[in-house]
Amino acid sequence: MHDHTDAERRVSPLRPSGQRRTNLADQKAQVPLAPRLTSTESEALAARSGLAEMGIRPPLGRYIAQVWQRRSFIWNLSASRAYSRNQGSYLGQAWAVLRPILDAGVYVIIFGFLFHSSAPGIENRAAFIVIGTFTYSLFQTSVMSGLNAIPNNLQLIRSHRFPRAVVPLATVMTEMVMFAPILVAMMVVAMVTGLLPGMGAVVPTWSWLLLPFAAVLLMAFSSGLAMFFSRVGARAPDIANAMPFILTLGRYASGAMFLIPAMVPDSVWFKPLLIHQPVAIYLDLFRAVFGNEELIPMTPLLWLEAIGWAVVVFALGFLYFWRAEETYGRD
Amino acid sequence: MTEDIDYEIDPEDLPDRVERKPLGPPSVVVDDLHITYRVFGARRGGTTKERSSLWDKAISLGRPDTGPITEVPAVRGVSFVAHHGESIGILGTNGSGKSTLLRAVAGLLPPTSGRVFTSAEPELLGVNAALLPRLTGERNITIGGLALGLSNKEVRRNIPGVSEFAELGDFLYLPMSSYSSGMASRLRFAISTIRTPEILMIDEALATGDASFRKKSTARIEEIRAQAGTVFFVSHSLASVRAMCTRALWIDKGVLVADGDVDVVADAYHEYVEGRSDASSGAKLN
Repeated sequence: MHDHTDAERRVSPLRPSGQRRTNLADQKAQVPLAPRLTSTESEALAARSGLAEMGIRPPLGRYIAQVWQRRSFIWNLSASRAYSRNQGSYLGQAWAVLRPILDAGVYVIIFGFLFHSSAPGIENRAAFIVIGTFTYSLFQTSVMSGLNAIPNNLQLIRSHRFPRAVVPLATVMTEMVMFAPILVAMMVVAMVTGLLPGMGAVVPTWSWLLLPFAAVLLMAFSSGLAMFFSRVGARAPDIANAMPFILTLGRYASGAMFLIPAMVPDSVWFKPLLIHQPVAIYLDLFRAVFGNEELIPMTPLLWLEAIGWAVVVFALGFLYFWRAEETYGRD
Repeated sequence: MTEDIDYEIDPEDLPDRVERKPLGPPSVVVDDLHITYRVFGARRGGTTKERSSLWDKAISLGRPDTGPITEVPAVRGVSFVAHHGESIGILGTNGSGKSTLLRAVAGLLPPTSGRVFTSAEPELLGVNAALLPRLTGERNITIGGLALGLSNKEVRRNIPGVSEFAELGDFLYLPMSSYSSGMASRLRFAISTIRTPEILMIDEALATGDASFRKKSTARIEEIRAQAGTVFFVSHSLASVRAMCTRALWIDKGVLVADGDVDVVADAYHEYVEGRSDASSGAKLN
């Protein structure tokens, strides 16, 4: 490693007199160079002139205010991206709805009709599975997109200055916007499953009006995880390869297509964990709001648990993301 | 000598030499700035610094030809002080670290080490990555404006002006993917010049489109430049730098080799480029 460069060697001597160099003593200065300050001198000059240092993480309070200020940016970015996502195919936006229906169809065939005993006591296994897989898909896509949020938006990050939490929040918001029509499809498909042979009827009730609130809670929870994973994914892109497996495991561990309390034997020590882990809670919450199964009643405790997980995980995820604010955009 | 060809602005469109304003107080202080890129799976060889701990050897087993992570130093220990009223050109061959330096000073690329102090938030002009090709021009103006930090109301107020400047006409309501490349870059330019910041950074490829639009955009840059306190201008076009700047920094392989009056530095740079036989440069390779 020698520190003088090609350019310096070739350039003809101009007027090195009167120029001062401190840090790169090895260089043979043959071209004019303005006086170079030492680090302490720079700092003093900056302080004297009232300059602020760049790339410093703002205090948490101000950071939250900055993110709040950018709320219409978050909203516009997510709405536009959701809209442009399915533009380029014949069925367009319809795919946003068709994809989860096909997905749910696979599980309904396998767990609803082939493995009869996957949800004992449940009158409409098909609706049970449809609600479970639709809801889990919102969680899954939110986490996956959060993981890739920073790498996918590197250009944006390197072109504009804004609190970086905007990026994972906007990606989750995009999934949320896409979920609105899916939610409607979920209600329709659930009602249709009532017509299948051997399945209990699914009738709309007033409690269905609570579905958007359940979705917002799930989104807050997913945003927290997305912010957590986007910091991880920004430093270690490898995790994007492992994530699909973890999420598939999560699908089973949350009982998207079978009843955990009935299928997991009591002798398993972590059974309470499986029942009370957040994703299982949200799946239960959605099913309870549908209100078609006596086995899954809507209780205040269920809502409290769902709200608690949403608040705690969102706050922790935000905090974790903010702690590395000044590093996003670095390679 | 490709560097002598002016890609951006026709010589006849260049403004007259900028008048030298009296130097104001410092607006940007850069202290010993280093930027190092991490590159995954780069080829092993003498080009870059390589980590070789036991752990790194273990994880590179699956990739016999490549190291796990190589580090490319793009900017190495740059320091300077810029003042209000200064217009600073950054010169250098391809890959010498000009754009990296500009982005770091703009606060868009976190420094690996070193510090940057500024009097206001610098704004980088000429890039707009928030745009989505499948959306209409109108929608893209909204997103671009919001990305710049404008409020919803300001954005709405600016839509007609931006559309007019970019000469979109009825295309404003069509997806950007239906635009000609000239039209798209006109729109990008128009969006990024909505605001006049105190510290302005201009990355190459400024004037785009046909001759008449080039004239218009050069005039717009002039207008912004006249109002901005400090201007940084990256280019390998000597003619533009001479015309638009009062001071020049010359970066070579990430190191500041010259910093001073634009004519002195530009002459030295010109001499160097003329005498250079190979066109490749890039980060420090030895």
